[in-house]
Amino acid sequence: MFTANTTLMLVATFLPLLGALVLLLVPKDQRRFFEIGSLLVMIVSLLLSLPFWFGYDRASDAVQWAGAWSWIPALGVKFSVGMDGISLLLWLLTTFIGPIAIACSFGSIEERHKEYYIWMLVLQTAMLGVFITQDMFLFYLFWEVMLVPMYFLIGIWGGPQKLYAAIKLFLYTLAGSVLMLVALLAIYFLQHKATGSYDFSLASFQAMAPVIAQQSKTYQHLMVLAFFVGFAIKVPMFPFHTWLPDAHVQAPTAGSVILAAILLKMGTYGFVRFLLPILPTATKELMPWFIGLSLIGIIYGALVAMIQKDMKKLVAYSSVSHLGLCMLGIFALNPYGIKGGLFQMLNHGISTSGLFLAVGIVYERRHTRMIADFGGLSKTMPVYATIFMIMTMSSIGLPVLNGFIGEGVILMGAFQAFPWAAVVATLGIILGAAYMLWMFQRVMFGPISPVNEKMADLNLREVLYFAPLVAAAFWIGLYPKPIMDVMDAPVRKLVEQITPGFHAAQALAAKQAVAAKLGMQGMTAPAHHEGVPAGHETAVAPAHETPAHGGGH
Amino acid sequence: MTTTMTADMTLVHAATTAASQPGSLLWLIPFLPLFGFLINGLSGRKLKSNAIVDTLALGSVGVAFLLTLYYFIQLMGLPAEGRSIHQSLWTWFDIGGAQVMGGLTTYKIEWAYKFDVLSACMALLVTGAGFLIHLFSTGYMAEERNDGRYYRFMAYMNLFVFSMLNLVLGANIMMMFLGWEGVGLCSYLLIGFYFDKESAAIAGKKAFVTNRIGDFGFMIGFFLIFQVFGSLDYDTLMGSVREVANMKAITLYGHTASPTWWFNLIGCCLFVGAMGKSAQIPLYVWLPDAMAGPTPVSALIHAATMVTSGLYMITRLNFIYVNAPMALAVVLAFGSLTAFVAATMGLAQYDIKKVLAYSTVSQLGFMFMGMGAGAFGAGMFHVFTHAFFKASLFLGSGAVIAACHHEQDMRNMGGLKKLMPITAMSMILATFAIAGIFPFSGFFSKDEILWKVFNGWYQHGHYNGPTLNLVAWILGMLGAFCTAFYMTRLIAMTFYGEYRGAGHDPHGLTVPSEAHGHGDDHGQDDHGHALAHDAQGHDAHAAHDHGPTEVSWRMWLPVATLAGLAVVGGFLNYPESLHRILPIVPADLFNKWIEPLLYQVAPVAHGEHIPPAIEYGLMAWATLVWAPGAMLLAWWIYKVDPTWSRAKAFVTRFPNLFRWVNAKYYVDEFYEWALINPIKRFSAQLWSFDTWVVDGMVNGAARVTLTWASLMNWVDEYLVDGAVDLTEYIVQETSGVFRSLQSGRVQHYAFVMFIGFLVFAFWKFLV
Repeated sequence: MFTANTTLMLVATFLPLLGALVLLLVPKDQRRFFEIGSLLVMIVSLLLSLPFWFGYDRASDAVQWAGAWSWIPALGVKFSVGMDGISLLLWLLTTFIGPIAIACSFGSIEERHKEYYIWMLVLQTAMLGVFITQDMFLFYLFWEVMLVPMYFLIGIWGGPQKLYAAIKLFLYTLAGSVLMLVALLAIYFLQHKATGSYDFSLASFQAMAPVIAQQSKTYQHLMVLAFFVGFAIKVPMFPFHTWLPDAHVQAPTAGSVILAAILLKMGTYGFVRFLLPILPTATKELMPWFIGLSLIGIIYGALVAMIQKDMKKLVAYSSVSHLGLCMLGIFALNPYGIKGGLFQMLNHGISTSGLFLAVGIVYERRHTRMIADFGGLSKTMPVYATIFMIMTMSSIGLPVLNGFIGEGVILMGAFQAFPWAAVVATLGIILGAAYMLWMFQRVMFGPISPVNEKMADLNLREVLYFAPLVAAAFWIGLYPKPIMDVMDAPVRKLVEQITPGFHAAQALAAKQAVAAKLGMQGMTAPAHHEGVPAGHETAVAPAHETPAHGGGH
Repeated sequence: MTTTMTADMTLVHAATTAASQPGSLLWLIPFLPLFGFLINGLSGRKLKSNAIVDTLALGSVGVAFLLTLYYFIQLMGLPAEGRSIHQSLWTWFDIGGAQVMGGLTTYKIEWAYKFDVLSACMALLVTGAGFLIHLFSTGYMAEERNDGRYYRFMAYMNLFVFSMLNLVLGANIMMMFLGWEGVGLCSYLLIGFYFDKESAAIAGKKAFVTNRIGDFGFMIGFFLIFQVFGSLDYDTLMGSVREVANMKAITLYGHTASPTWWFNLIGCCLFVGAMGKSAQIPLYVWLPDAMAGPTPVSALIHAATMVTSGLYMITRLNFIYVNAPMALAVVLAFGSLTAFVAATMGLAQYDIKKVLAYSTVSQLGFMFMGMGAGAFGAGMFHVFTHAFFKASLFLGSGAVIAACHHEQDMRNMGGLKKLMPITAMSMILATFAIAGIFPFSGFFSKDEILWKVFNGWYQHGHYNGPTLNLVAWILGMLGAFCTAFYMTRLIAMTFYGEYRGAGHDPHGLTVPSEAHGHGDDHGQDDHGHALAHDAQGHDAHAAHDHGPTEVSWRMWLPVATLAGLAVVGGFLNYPESLHRILPIVPADLFNKWIEPLLYQVAPVAHGEHIPPAIEYGLMAWATLVWAPGAMLLAWWIYKVDPTWSRAKAFVTRFPNLFRWVNAKYYVDEFYEWALINPIKRFSAQLWSFDTWVVDGMVNGAARVTLTWASLMNWVDEYLVDGAVDLTEYIVQETSGVFRSLQSGRVQHYAFVMFIGFLVFAFWKFLV
């Protein structure tokens, strides 16, 4: 029953929606019931999603657990689902964040509990749906449906300017989606012209890449721009980012967490899933602009974050910076860059969620998020300080924690493709350390005021919802290989789609193995080795099948 | 955590020396302190007894030291060409393919350790000095033992040792970078240990951010290495570097240049990283501020181990630098400049720890000078001797500070030699060592460096332009003079004369103490007066009234041990020239030990050979005239005249010179003015830009839409709807006309028909 298959995938995806329907029937004064009930639903959904981690065939780049049912045959729309490694990771991230988002709401949501938890569950299904769909129509449906619960979460349970923020979020991202829809329909009709059939499936869209490449430059560039703006608003990339700080600041903690961890990933996911495979040539042509915007985002987001007085706004602008880095990696179009970008999505989901949760903790206790109102909290809240420190370090990319894996790999990938951009991006990590540590110092260190002295340290529930994030941060930091393995085949396929023949270059592994074998002996001047001419040290090394270590395999 | 050792290592052909041997317990060396950190850090608050914390912290580092020693002995048994033991734990990164020079690399970054001639020495230093400093801490942090912060301190110290061991034992550059960042984190945590003191927290942040600037260069450097070599593994790099260096040209990113050009670029980038971590001009500013941390931290991190990471990195990657003459010249230039400038800053400091801090910066400059002159062995050797004497001096100063009730200003000390003889004796010996007096260790290491620099000039060496070497040598000699001067000044002010702390101050030398105001490095006013050493059994107030006494064995033993090493350590690298005079001491032990790791170039025909007379002459000059001269000068100013009138006269005579030196040439202020404030201002401007322009466009679009909508509303209300109303009105009005037309009379109809016919005909006629 609990083996990874299409049915289980659909169950895990739609379970939250089902839970929401059940909760609808419960009288609205049963606060505890909604809290525990929705948490249980999320946890069960998480547990149901776990078999997919183990059942995923890492060697294959195909869409796994695929299933399709005819839906609107006249339009070529199918209810078509399935996942590859890239979607799997984001899907798992969603089921992972779900229970945390619910658990952190227990203390902060004071009114209209029934609606709140129902909307959270609906949102969860919409988000999970985006990652499993293999049909563009269905994708667009989930993509849009997702906005509705988010709109209500911010608009009802948000801060003082909640309506402004909610409407801004809704309209701004809707504008992007509509552009994306136009591009989708354009490809849809082009496909009809080319093949004579109507088909909304993702595979058929990706198969259109060569046909699109033969269209006029203007057509291609317009398509790229339509996709780009649609996704860039969602990411958000500079200059489409201004909805984000407002939405984050006004949203309840759980809203911020989901917004940062999952919703923003829709944009980056869109780039990886649609823009790059469908329009590789045209994307490459416009690449300098995209790189420029990513770099501006990295530096600009970091600089603006530096002088924020509101902790939540600071974290929100840091998101702009981090996602700029993520986009830079993806636009590097090589395995390092794309894998790093995917890692950055996961890492940002973990560390930024952690930071938003941490801000939520002090907000619940003091009802303020202004940095100036705090100071010296380490003294009375040591557990909180430790967790906040770990999340801060993860966010600024300290090795052993997850952030480094993403940032380091992205920068290496970007450096392979465009070194100057990577140099500028690397400057951004200096600023990253500056603004995060400056905030940490002002909030956590220094003398403590009497008001803050009364603040209680984390309780068990709070520790429990931080714990998975901390564990994940260390796991990814120490042993990211399993995750890298999951994304390996799909990324390989993607890179080949973008740059055919990338992996066909001459392999250096054997040569490196020989060099590794030689090791320190390569330091000796050639004259010491009689009969071995310079530059031919390979002759010194004994021939062995496996290198001792390092080297490559 | 199994070793992924492959069996083929045992099959290595008997005729060939294996480049590396497996070592299955190697991982324990770094991980033991990690376990200490984890246990203490996670459960330290609940542990009732500090003895358990001590046992775990000291035990883990101590056992790691013994294990290091075990492997060191094993290493000595191996042939010189194959002195390397390695262990690979797991694959850390497996990122896939990358297109680098020559093709596609699928390099996987292993979590692996490599114990070879260089890392063995560094690991011995880290665990050995680390253990002694941990022991010192148990005495020094006596106050913290009772207020629940002690476990945290010890845990951080263990974490530091873990990170530092990763730095030196890592088998690839990524592992080094892991340790590199890890020690940065620990430094941040430990500098800011008294975080309730604002200045300590700020100093911690400053250290981290400044180091990040260095990391920027380091990262670019190793990205370039990866582009050229397709690997970050030391063995692979070492095995392939000669082939790369002998290439005609290297083309990367469409730019073709000689390997030397690329190696120069890599070397300069990496040196930026070294500048940050090893506190060289212009990134040294964090180190003096880092003295806000507890004194054992200053000894361990900011004198003996972490700040030498840059030196370690350059020696580890010496194969890059040997092939990069420009990069070496840059190292030499910055090193000598730092050696001199920082030494002058040390001349005018009154805070005992600040003197030592600038001294450390200056000594690190000397080490870089050695590297820049191509003498990696000499530079590395100075790392070790410096670790001995500077750690001893720092710990000694910690003992003094503790004994003087957290007083750090030397003007408020004096006469401590009689009161704490062991500490005083140790520090005096260490001072002889740092000043470079024969036969103390500093003589062998520092003199060797200066000699190599001079030699490079004299021989028209192939590393650098000769002029630079000469300038560097002169700066180095001046720096050495300042070093001997300020160290003797420190000793004279602290240990000689009379104790000025207890209100006894005949010459008016003391200044209002900061220790009683906002606290010293212990930063806690509620405990500020308590005596740090534990074994005396005094209660705090009694101790305060008594004045300084010798500290407990937990504190003086490490100081004395390190001072002892500082005295004899130099003989490990006894110069060849002296070996000829006194053959009983083996020559160049350390140089020979480390030589297999150094990239050898085929000997190039040098200019004239340097006559031995010059070598002996310079040696004698340095140790018999130059350094003793500086020491005597300081002695004459600060000891012979107890009123320090000569120093005061000098300050009166040259007030601006003193002000500039005392204010450290206003470098911090300059950075604040030229870098930090503009960035903050720019950030503020960007934020306004974000709010008013970027978001303004969004809100503007919304406003335009709303305005348009209300316009449309108006149009709808008055024009569209009005048009409807108008039509209705017109219909109503015209219907009246038509009603009147519909009269029922035939004449009317006939008339209308006729008119209609005329109009029709006329129209037809026209068309």
